[in-house]
Amino acid sequence: MASKELEENLSELQIGGNGEKKPVENDVSEGEVKVSCFTEDLQDVTLHFQIVKFSKQIYAWIGCNSAKLGHLYAAATTRPNNNVSVTSLLGGTSDNTGSSIARRIVLKTGLNVVVACNIPKDSPMLEATAERKLIERLASLGYFSPKEKYRN
Amino acid sequence: MEMSSNNLSPTEFPVLHKSFSLNIKGNKTDIVICKYNDSFMVMATQIGCMGTILHARKEESVSTDPTFHVAVIFGKRDEPFLVACARQLIEHISSYGSTRPLVLSLGLKDHSPGTMKEIIYAVMENRLW
Repeated sequence: MASKELEENLSELQIGGNGEKKPVENDVSEGEVKVSCFTEDLQDVTLHFQIVKFSKQIYAWIGCNSAKLGHLYAAATTRPNNNVSVTSLLGGTSDNTGSSIARRIVLKTGLNVVVACNIPKDSPMLEATAERKLIERLASLGYFSPKEKYRN
Repeated sequence: MEMSSNNLSPTEFPVLHKSFSLNIKGNKTDIVICKYNDSFMVMATQIGCMGTILHARKEESVSTDPTFHVAVIFGKRDEPFLVACARQLIEHISSYGSTRPLVLSLGLKDHSPGTMKEIIYAVMENRLW
């Protein structure tokens, strides 16, 4: 019942000021917004991923060894031909590490995305790995169907 | 490459977050608050997407009170209450001793001061700073 869910959600507002430490691979769903966090350990680098799913948009954060926010990009299909457009919102105008990830996510999934990424520039292999892991997770969470690849 | 300065156990995700939902004037509002190493992210939505994104930071001057800089980086630039909301929150963050900037996203159906206040109270009660 909607009212019970609302009461449960409202009672959770009484949480105190300390943040909750979420374990890796935890999915938290509150209403329609879902937050997923996971970590991938590569040989010399640890990649952290956080995916927040809204009903019409996805926010994704990719952390390379650190928990800094990094550069913020928004990407989506735009009129008139559904071409993919990407824009830098915070920082990152010259190295574009996150912008190409954001753009390719929209190309492959058709989702409207905001991506925050702190992968250092000049790391194409790392960037490709991060993008692949993120898209795999988006597919496994059911946020898009890999068979219906969005073609530009 | 930068190494994280925190020694985290393998099972802890380095980004703290809190996610909850509340009803504001009949509109279901989902709020997600995240704490990164160098900033805070607050997302409040009633419309299923992030909406307008603002960036607020504190500029520490040598003399007396700090000043704050708030800018819309995506979305509506003609809604003063969105800017006021960000301004209120960055000052609140500053009052708790943090100098980290704030990225605030507000996807709202109405931009009335009453809604802003409810969101600000909810975020303050569930703050991660």
